[in-house]
Amino acid sequence: MVAAVAVAAAAEAQELKLGAMNPLSGALALYGDELNRGYELAADKVNAAGGVLGRKVVIVRGNASSPQEGIAAVEQLANRDKVDAFIGSYISAVASAASEAALANSKLYWDTNALAAELTARGLPNFIRSGPWSGTFASQSADATMKLIAKTLGKEPKDLKVWIEHEDSVYGSSIAKDQERLLKEAGVQVVGVGAHNLRAIDLSPSILRAKNTNPDLWIQTGYIPDTNLLLRTARDQGFKPQAMLLVGTGDTFETLEALGKEYLEGIMVVSYPRPDINAKYGPGAAEFLAAYRAKYNRDPIAPQAMAAFVGASILMETIQAAGSADMEKVKAAAAKMDKPLGTYATGFGVKFDQNFQNTRAFPVVAQWQDGKMVTVYPVEATPEGAKLADMRRK
Amino acid sequence: MIDLMNVLVVGLLLGGIYSLVSIGLNLIFGVIRIVNFAQGEFVMLGMYGTFAAVSMLNMDPYLSLILTLPALFLLGVVVQRFLLQPLQNEPMMQIFATFGLLILLQNVVLALTRGAAVSINAPISSYTVAVGPIQVSLVRVVTLVAAALVALGLGWFLHNTLQGRAIRAVAQDRRAARLMGIDVERTFMLTFGIGAALAGLAGTLMTPIYTLSPQIGGNFIVAAFAVVVLGGLGSVTGAFIGGFVVGFTEAIAGFYIDPSLKHAVWFSVFIVMLLVRPSGLFGHVGAEEVGLREQH
Repeated sequence: MVAAVAVAAAAEAQELKLGAMNPLSGALALYGDELNRGYELAADKVNAAGGVLGRKVVIVRGNASSPQEGIAAVEQLANRDKVDAFIGSYISAVASAASEAALANSKLYWDTNALAAELTARGLPNFIRSGPWSGTFASQSADATMKLIAKTLGKEPKDLKVWIEHEDSVYGSSIAKDQERLLKEAGVQVVGVGAHNLRAIDLSPSILRAKNTNPDLWIQTGYIPDTNLLLRTARDQGFKPQAMLLVGTGDTFETLEALGKEYLEGIMVVSYPRPDINAKYGPGAAEFLAAYRAKYNRDPIAPQAMAAFVGASILMETIQAAGSADMEKVKAAAAKMDKPLGTYATGFGVKFDQNFQNTRAFPVVAQWQDGKMVTVYPVEATPEGAKLADMRRK
Repeated sequence: MIDLMNVLVVGLLLGGIYSLVSIGLNLIFGVIRIVNFAQGEFVMLGMYGTFAAVSMLNMDPYLSLILTLPALFLLGVVVQRFLLQPLQNEPMMQIFATFGLLILLQNVVLALTRGAAVSINAPISSYTVAVGPIQVSLVRVVTLVAAALVALGLGWFLHNTLQGRAIRAVAQDRRAARLMGIDVERTFMLTFGIGAALAGLAGTLMTPIYTLSPQIGGNFIVAAFAVVVLGGLGSVTGAFIGGFVVGFTEAIAGFYIDPSLKHAVWFSVFIVMLLVRPSGLFGHVGAEEVGLREQH
């Protein structure tokens, strides 16, 4: 009996436990689950190869659908489940609160998906972000505007008229502000910036204002309900800018269902790298997709899962290099990591800046083509045989 | 000029949405004296009912009314009979009970859908009619027409039928109504049922416009409360007209000032209105107090 307990305890000590900080209930549970699946696939992969530091990696799911729940989940996972480190998060506000709670427990908080700029700007001693952040979403949308869209429309940046629309919380506003700055610096004509509320009943004025400026490109950063309502209103009002670029959302079945594939044809979305990306840009993306399908019997709902998978993989490599999950040792090991772009399935590399933001993690631009999303920018990320479809609105 | 016309049309159509959502809320308030916080969730249930009918039974969204209207009516009757009636002498507890119902309904739908945003993409969603140079969404026109018909129909029902007269009698003085032989409890059930069915009607008619989430009811209800207070508590005409006041204000402010400030603008109008005419445009003086006055 005593021996059995001792063996069980030894096995337990052998495990490397990561507490996952994602919503399991509430409106975002579907996406929280996607991230957790990404972590579990990363754990499966590393466990098949002998684990980390000879220990089996176990993902322990905590329920974090609000900042308060995030704090409670950290306490529970740190004290009851004795996790070695935390990983998250679908929600930036949860990441912010839960990482401070993790610090109070002297545990590492590794973020793979939260976007808010302030998370790394705080310089919290236990916080590391392996994925892209809001600034890279803004810079990628500005890059795509100049290098992909202006070029395709046959315009010089100075002749390109752009309307920037965004939802009015900190998420949409901060990205829109960066977009405006970057586009103006490049000489693009920003003909207007419009803010709207995510929960608005009617967005006709937002579309009518944009329509009056007759832009070549209309950029929208927001959530799913407002993006869908704006697109439906644009359709009703006959608003046809030459091209449309969505940022953050608009790339899932939820938008396809609302608008139909004919309307969406040609619309582009800045989002996380998708499993279809070119193997030279993101080596291992196809393997990720195969593993996901084998384990969960369907395709990923959203591309966030692959960024979660890659983020968890980078964390495990870093713990291996550090020889421990201790937050200071992991940070020291992370600071030394230097991997070129194109190392991971998402196309990410690893090089952390002084605030421990990965500077080699970027979203990509995908385009709706016949009801499917196809990666079209950066050009190297475009899948073999795929090409940019006509982006002009008809 | 075209801009102004377009904005006015947008305001008119939006007014239709607000009116339709507010009429049921105001009926319940006027007769039962309950501020029904769950009214937005009834709208949400109507939307999901239509979504289910379209996606599972392949039904036309408008035809799904044959399911959503009776279902919501029945739900309203049940809520009144088994949740609110036992609390009849405790008006504050009734308000808390409707708030509890709001949370319950939201979370049930959340658990069923796991939070995925859903929409129907019926052909009707994208039909527009050209009125001169302006494109008008057919779904919104239908909603506007429905709001007008409901306001007229409900007015006729309340004034010309025995049941309608009973409802008005109870609204005026429930003790006297009871003495005249009116079954007050039954009248309340009927009223709450009609109010809930109207929310279901609004939900079904608006399903082709929106992307559904379990929290969507809340988007309508803040506006609906403002409409009800603006138009006059308990007044069907008030809710109808109030909807258009809010709709026009929102469209004009959204276009000519700033879309992100439109709520600030119409809430300012709302506050000024309350200062000038506390009973609302069509409310009876003193109606604003009646909700919390003890009833027998």
